[in-house]
Amino acid sequence: MIKSAQLDSDARRGLSQISLPLAFSVLLLAAPLAILLAMSFWTQDFLTLDRTFTLANFKETWTSPIYRTLMLRSLKISIIVTVLTVGLAYPAAYYMSFVAPNNRKAMLVFLITIPFWTSYLMRIFLWKVILGFNGVVNGSLIGLGFIDTPLDWISYNQFAVIITLSHAWLPFAVLPIFVVMEKVNRSYLEAAQDLGDTPFQRFRRITLPLSMPGVVAATLIVFIPTIGDYVTPKLVGGPDGLMIANMIEIQFKNANNAPLGAALALSALLLVSSVAGIFVWLNRRYLKAEGAA
Amino acid sequence: MLRTMKRTTTAIAVAAMPTLAAAQELIVLDWSGFEDPGFIGAYIKEHGGPPNYSFFGEEEEAFQKLRAGFEVDVAHPCSQSVSKWQLAGLIEPLDTSRIDRWDDVNEVKEAFVIDGDYYMLPTDWGTTSLVYRTDLVNASKMDSLQAFLDPEFAGRVSLPNNVDDVYALGLLATGVIDWSDVTQEQFEAASAWLRQAHPNVVTYWADNAELAQLMTTGEVSLAWAWNETPTTLIGEGIPVAINREAAEGSSSWFCGYVNVVDGPNSEDLMYDFLNAWMEPATTDYIVDAWGYGSGNQTQMASLGSEVLDSVGLGEVSAPVLVQGPLDNQMREQMIVEFEKIKAGF
Repeated sequence: MIKSAQLDSDARRGLSQISLPLAFSVLLLAAPLAILLAMSFWTQDFLTLDRTFTLANFKETWTSPIYRTLMLRSLKISIIVTVLTVGLAYPAAYYMSFVAPNNRKAMLVFLITIPFWTSYLMRIFLWKVILGFNGVVNGSLIGLGFIDTPLDWISYNQFAVIITLSHAWLPFAVLPIFVVMEKVNRSYLEAAQDLGDTPFQRFRRITLPLSMPGVVAATLIVFIPTIGDYVTPKLVGGPDGLMIANMIEIQFKNANNAPLGAALALSALLLVSSVAGIFVWLNRRYLKAEGAA
Repeated sequence: MLRTMKRTTTAIAVAAMPTLAAAQELIVLDWSGFEDPGFIGAYIKEHGGPPNYSFFGEEEEAFQKLRAGFEVDVAHPCSQSVSKWQLAGLIEPLDTSRIDRWDDVNEVKEAFVIDGDYYMLPTDWGTTSLVYRTDLVNASKMDSLQAFLDPEFAGRVSLPNNVDDVYALGLLATGVIDWSDVTQEQFEAASAWLRQAHPNVVTYWADNAELAQLMTTGEVSLAWAWNETPTTLIGEGIPVAINREAAEGSSSWFCGYVNVVDGPNSEDLMYDFLNAWMEPATTDYIVDAWGYGSGNQTQMASLGSEVLDSVGLGEVSAPVLVQGPLDNQMREQMIVEFEKIKAGF
């Protein structure tokens, strides 16, 4: 108590500024997480919650093949989506930052945000129309005479989930990479050129390492939410496109088994954080090797 | 401070409301689509407007919402949920003396008696049966539910994403017609059958609109569907047919309104709402516009068999599995098993 009275005015101002967001996140993030954690050690029989401590839910989550399959499938879909979006976003961001004239940049950023003008749900339904049996893709291919019968491997499966998610998350990947590239000091590039680097060497030794923080941010921004996405697989996934979040929803809702749902949710959280952690660690090693960090 | 704020907001709310304030009070937790004013013409006439609706897409969603403390006056589950909701303490008995046409209410009302009290007013019903595109499949193969297993229709089949309808199919296909005393072996046989049908399924349809779209494009040529879907599709000129007389039979379901415990508003409004549903005009409307049956069986009978046959509600000679109340443990087992089947296990 005495100590807090001795805080200087800067510290006091800092505390008062952080206290509201802190209370907010404790209330809306930490408390639900704590409830989830507690619940995952309980069991539910039909409508009654049994509060005896047990690890049975985690055992079931990690041993039963159905949950393992769904976890691995979500991981696979999410990794493919991340690689696709970041792979496509990087050249776009590169163009915006290094190639486009300065007076066009604001315009390009504005154009990138256009997909956000349509609700995500609408965009999912549009993909349903585009990939559908009599949809735009099949209609065009038939009209051009490439195929006779509509392709049915393009809708209601994992492929459709990957396409829809990649399209939705692309803008989120472009922006962080672009912002970081804008901060790359252009005189380094000139110096490299003066010292005899070819354009490719220059890119590999300067632009790429210096834009890596943007790539990391983009990867995490895409990877973490997509692995837990549930509306996309529900609407375009069909039977083999279901992901772990759909199973979590089912446990809480239809199956009346909130404890198992909590254990699944926490396990998915663990999986996401470990994969993200490994990725950040690998990136740090790469940057160290390049001497950029 | 708080009180002033409350008073101010109430004053603003009251001022903003039209003179028909009373009609806005009753809160109904309903399937989306059931806000159709044609169902409650008498209520709207008396109170000047429809009640407030909150919607759900499936019963389990409504159940969890109510359990979490969402306050409504009346809700619209189907037959299998009544005993579960009652066990969870969510609903209370209906006062049948306040339902004017109680004697006309379909006999199925007796299935919802718990400890001598009536818990649900059955208001709407329909059938679930084999539906197919006449131009895409050979009609001669459509006289048995085993058609769902035919590899010829791989990727062309859609089943309901609804545990009751799906198990009605599984049980019928394995020879069970009455599910009120279904055994563990029968349940397992039905699950095995559904598992066998799963590879043919392109997607499990969630609602009439989705299935109608899938069948219109021809992506789905064979489905286990509510009679509402073929009725609307035929109206649009799509070549579909409904076969309620497949050798193994078809199914029927009943839904209705229940009195939710501690509803925030007067029960008088609720009984006005329930009575409006039992009006003969509602029966004519629901059959004509929706292809569903009404809970007013006297008025249903007066429509004549020709009208009922045309919307798939008439008498059939094949077996009918009535989706009546089901043992709760068995239903929970079905829910879990269906999720596994859908995920491919």
